[in-house]
Amino acid sequence: MIKRIGCLLLTLLIIGAAPSFAKDRKLDPANPDDQIRLQVKIFCSLVEGRPTLYWWSGNMYSRVAGEPHRLLFKVHGMNIRQCRTRQDPVRGFCYRSVSREVLLYLDPLTGDVARKWKNPWTGKEVDVVHVANDPVNARDWICGRDKDGKPIDRSESMFVKDELLLEGGGAARLFYKNPLGGEYQDYIGGTYHAMEYGTTHASAAEVLDAKDTELENAVLSWGRVSRWLPWMEMGDRDGLVVFNTAGMRLDGYEQLPDVMRRELQTNYPSYFAPPPLDDARPNETSWTVFKKYIDGKRTATSGNSEK
Amino acid sequence: MKYSAITTHPRRRFRYFLSTLSMTVVLSLASHAGSAEKAQRVAQLDPSRPEDALTLTRKMNCSLEDGRPVLHWWKGTMISRVPGERDRVLFNIQGMNIRQCGSFNDPKRGPGFRSVSREVMLFLDPVTNEVLKRWTNPWTGEEVEVIHVANDPVNMRSPMFAYGIDGKPAQFRGTFVKDKVWTSGEAPLWYDNPMAGDYQEYVGNNYQAIEMLSSFTDAAPLLDPNVKTLSSVGISWTRLSGWLPWMKMGGRVGTVVYSTVGKRLESVDDLSEPLRTEVRSNYPTYLTPPPIDDARPNETSWTYIKKIIDQRRLNEKK
Repeated sequence: MIKRIGCLLLTLLIIGAAPSFAKDRKLDPANPDDQIRLQVKIFCSLVEGRPTLYWWSGNMYSRVAGEPHRLLFKVHGMNIRQCRTRQDPVRGFCYRSVSREVLLYLDPLTGDVARKWKNPWTGKEVDVVHVANDPVNARDWICGRDKDGKPIDRSESMFVKDELLLEGGGAARLFYKNPLGGEYQDYIGGTYHAMEYGTTHASAAEVLDAKDTELENAVLSWGRVSRWLPWMEMGDRDGLVVFNTAGMRLDGYEQLPDVMRRELQTNYPSYFAPPPLDDARPNETSWTVFKKYIDGKRTATSGNSEK
Repeated sequence: MKYSAITTHPRRRFRYFLSTLSMTVVLSLASHAGSAEKAQRVAQLDPSRPEDALTLTRKMNCSLEDGRPVLHWWKGTMISRVPGERDRVLFNIQGMNIRQCGSFNDPKRGPGFRSVSREVMLFLDPVTNEVLKRWTNPWTGEEVEVIHVANDPVNMRSPMFAYGIDGKPAQFRGTFVKDKVWTSGEAPLWYDNPMAGDYQEYVGNNYQAIEMLSSFTDAAPLLDPNVKTLSSVGISWTRLSGWLPWMKMGGRVGTVVYSTVGKRLESVDDLSEPLRTEVRSNYPTYLTPPPIDDARPNETSWTYIKKIIDQRRLNEKK
């Protein structure tokens, strides 16, 4: 009995000691350098070079004037990332991320990886070209302050509300020269035009804890609006595709759904690790990847016809 | 700032320590108090049981306590998409939904619930966050009156039961990963536009929109039958539709996209400004949800705007 009470006392003692841990420094969501630390804890890790795996899944719809939205595919996406951090005398705390990304289009009924797709508008059967973008890197260091040392305010899109740290509510508005378009896009159109938006939700207590180097239980939503994907062979037809997904950080590849893990093992083995921290290659996008794919196919076809 | 010397992950080590600690507490308490032991062993809700699937669905949406108001809040931006030009941020937006649920029982279909709610969403100046009264449409050059969203009610038309009319068991469409769970889905909307004419299948103008919502929470309290109301739920809501009627864009091509992030709040006091003041001053009925037996048809932005425009036209004739 005395022994048991002793055990209980010891337990209470440990519990009593716990709050002194909690008094340790907290990150300040209003501080520009700490805002970067929060981003790093969510997107990767304050431990340089520690790989971070995110996974998300959802649906892709068409939006065409004059008809209901159609569910075209289920999607599964993953990103493997690592980060470098540094303290800059002018720009404050900075990080740069390097990553690779796969997004698979699945049959909406069977959930199997789609290989061929019958385009319901053209009637043509086309090859499905999944997203496999390597690399998807931050072009430059992302820092708490600009080049003059002025703090960059990110509090409109990343803020603590009660028990949660929330990020999102905006969008990356992409509008640039289409790598699959010609040299006169300003005159005749065909510009690359897309919008990507995401949210992150994290426990404020966990993410603000300064001695913690990364956030294990960050959840996210990701969405996108763009024109038809090039492999759909929709040409100039009007219409949009809309993605809606949700997901979270995983501890390792064994936590990926079978369909995605198997596909990575078979067809995308290099996506089991992020690119090197000093990766200087230009970013790959679905459009540039498709251009290489279709150029390769064209070369192969012209080679055959010459024989 | 070099952490590369740390080989094992400190956080994980800390977690093991914590779980050992809580195990010690549970064991030592259990050896003293039988009732505490029993309380520790209440079975979790089972998503594969239709009755529990219904309970889980209800907890993600509202409270298991009948009549307890649950408030959700979100903020973000509204962005235009027009072919040939870069997307434009038109407004900051802040919205809220106040909801309650009531229990039902059906001899054949088992337990059920219905949610009833009201919803406000404000269009704010993208720079100053002021509540906008007027807006100069950058495409037409015309200055128009801004009509904010005030939809009362936004109700489930009929209760959801553990078993469907066809006997099909209810399913909880949640994804459980690690310590988290979320629901994510889309509602593609396509129906007769209440502001359009009687020949829409011939000349077009149908109402076409898609609403997308993801809700995130912790798995443990969701699965705990003793937790009646989840205290921490994060949401992200997005929507695509044609131009809002008050923008007076007529038949011009284009889409508006809402991108937002938000969460469940304890009370109206926790709403962000200017939404909190605006709701209290101008939308006081939205401080509480409608009654559980509310039989009114749902209000949408389009039906609401139609009423306002119809009233304006009447006033102009007088």
